Amino acid sequence: MTVAGNTARPVGRPDLRLRRVGSEWVLYDAAQDKAHVLNQTAAVIWTYCDGNFERSAIADAIAREVPGLDSTRIKDDIDDVLRRFADEGLLQ
Amino acid sequence: MAPQVLEFASEDPIAARALAALYHAAPATSEPPTLRYALARSAGGYVATTPSRPPFGPASLGDALAFLEWRATEDLLNAGSPDAVFLHAAGAQVGPRLVLIVGDSGAGKSTLVAHLMVRGHRMLGDDLVRFATADGTFTAVGRSVKLDANALSRLPLIAAKCAAGVVGTLLAAGCYYVSPAAIRRTWQAPAGRPRAVLLLDAASRRGPGRLERSSDGQAAVYVTQKVLTAADGAGAGKDVTVRLLDGLADVTAYRARGGDPAAVAEALEREAAA
Repeated sequence: MTVAGNTARPVGRPDLRLRRVGSEWVLYDAAQDKAHVLNQTAAVIWTYCDGNFERSAIADAIAREVPGLDSTRIKDDIDDVLRRFADEGLLQ
Repeated sequence: MAPQVLEFASEDPIAARALAALYHAAPATSEPPTLRYALARSAGGYVATTPSRPPFGPASLGDALAFLEWRATEDLLNAGSPDAVFLHAAGAQVGPRLVLIVGDSGAGKSTLVAHLMVRGHRMLGDDLVRFATADGTFTAVGRSVKLDANALSRLPLIAAKCAAGVVGTLLAAGCYYVSPAAIRRTWQAPAGRPRAVLLLDAASRRGPGRLERSSDGQAAVYVTQKVLTAADGAGAGKDVTVRLLDGLADVTAYRARGGDPAAVAEALEREAAA
């Protein structure tokens, strides 16, 4: 059982569609007919919201993908992004 | 499904000239027309005949032409093709780039498109663009460009063509309906996926004309909100939004600033060449 926004292994709603547009990403929620514009970091975090990664594992993965980022900053960003995902009802 | 083929015809030489030279410029096709529109001279003026409404008129030539345009647009939307939707947007090919131009009515889409055309570029449309959901491409719609006296004051070549033209009064009071074919013989931009989205905002017309980078994602979402729906709701499918986002995958978004459309057109050219 997971709790949106506070889950150890966040799971994104499978019905949402992530699309790249130029230098940004758009996550489209057809059920709400609402589109969310994501920056690169948020889009990468979303791709790890499949129930297989704890927050620390997501942070490690992003640190590998984007060398040079401060690990504390990465964890803060992940917390912030996941909170926003949860607030918008994008997580299961 | 093949796109609708519109036919505009009149046996009256004045109306035929208006239709041919200053009204629709649908691309040449060998396909038989699916929607027929006609103008006929009568004792009290002109009578417009359309596929889906009782005849309109007798009325002035301008009113009859405007009625035809209104009905043609509605008929296209009501045709409800599952393969295509129409967007309230403009577009042009600037250099190698297809540019989608979006903004509310009155933001200056038609004026900017006209400036781009007189600078040698081809257009997708000035306020109506077709989007094919199957392959994610945008194609031109052969409609007239509507230009008011203020816009024409800075477009002397087009204004000269309008001198003998017809002023629309029903849909766009005081605007000239100028066929893109009257501006450029080869007016139609080839179908494709846009590489840029330009946002026009009537509130941003102060200062010199220029472009500013804008959020690609926000611009794309704005474009998805420009899908036109028919009275029966056709064209409003959720899949259309996803396919539109796919079609906009490679865009760079800009916001136009300043009140000089010629300068904005020039800035677009510079960006396209960069």
